[in-house]
Amino acid sequence: MIAFNCTIQEGVIPEEQREIINQRLVQIGAAVLGVPPDDISVDYEVIPHGFGFRGGEISTSSSVRSVIPDGFTQEKRVEFMTAVQDMWIDVTGQTTAELVVGAADASFRPHRD
Amino acid sequence: MPIYRFKVPTDSVPFEQREKIAVDVTDIHCGSTLAPRHFVHVMFDEQPEGSSEFPTRFYLDAYNRAGRPQEVKDKLLEDLINAFVRHTDVPRDQISGRLGEGPASWAMEGGQVLPEPGQETAEWYAEVTAD
Repeated sequence: MIAFNCTIQEGVIPEEQREIINQRLVQIGAAVLGVPPDDISVDYEVIPHGFGFRGGEISTSSSVRSVIPDGFTQEKRVEFMTAVQDMWIDVTGQTTAELVVGAADASFRPHRD
Repeated sequence: MPIYRFKVPTDSVPFEQREKIAVDVTDIHCGSTLAPRHFVHVMFDEQPEGSSEFPTRFYLDAYNRAGRPQEVKDKLLEDLINAFVRHTDVPRDQISGRLGEGPASWAMEGGQVLPEPGQETAEWYAEVTAD
């Protein structure tokens, strides 16, 4: 199972690009990590204009966070994140400075509650 | 990274306040870490009054690279919350927060895998600030 969560700024990534991104993310998950396409999901969160900031200024940045199965090596994780980054730049025209990519293990919990 | 998300009731924090808070958060973060300014992301998530899943009416949900001392993290969170209070009419007891962490090597920004805190090199700065 891979769950992609894309956070984008309102008005920056058009709907037609999102459809291409969805397809390409599924392809990357299957090709790089070997996860069946039916076990890959893609969600979007759109930050309204004026509600997202980067470096203290209105943001145009996007992030693609993902939860991937446990057990992959760091080399494979970097290969996966790089593939996601390269695809995003190719489809959207954004720069690497406008993109954060993450790949966390499924068992990972960021908070010590 | 870092990512700072303020959970606020709908229409409770106008744009002018959000902008000032975002600038202060960026200044505070960069003052206590070695992150480039443009790596600091601040977002405001509006939720209908009373619908928050968090323990206080306003909440700071933060995510950062793991590896900083606890006292640094505690001070950072308190300074960020105080910045929010300073620019709003929100009483201090109506906002709380938490700072989640993850391995730096699990993320890429500026085209590079993030270094561990304290391991930022001049070459890395040059690469990620080139655009």
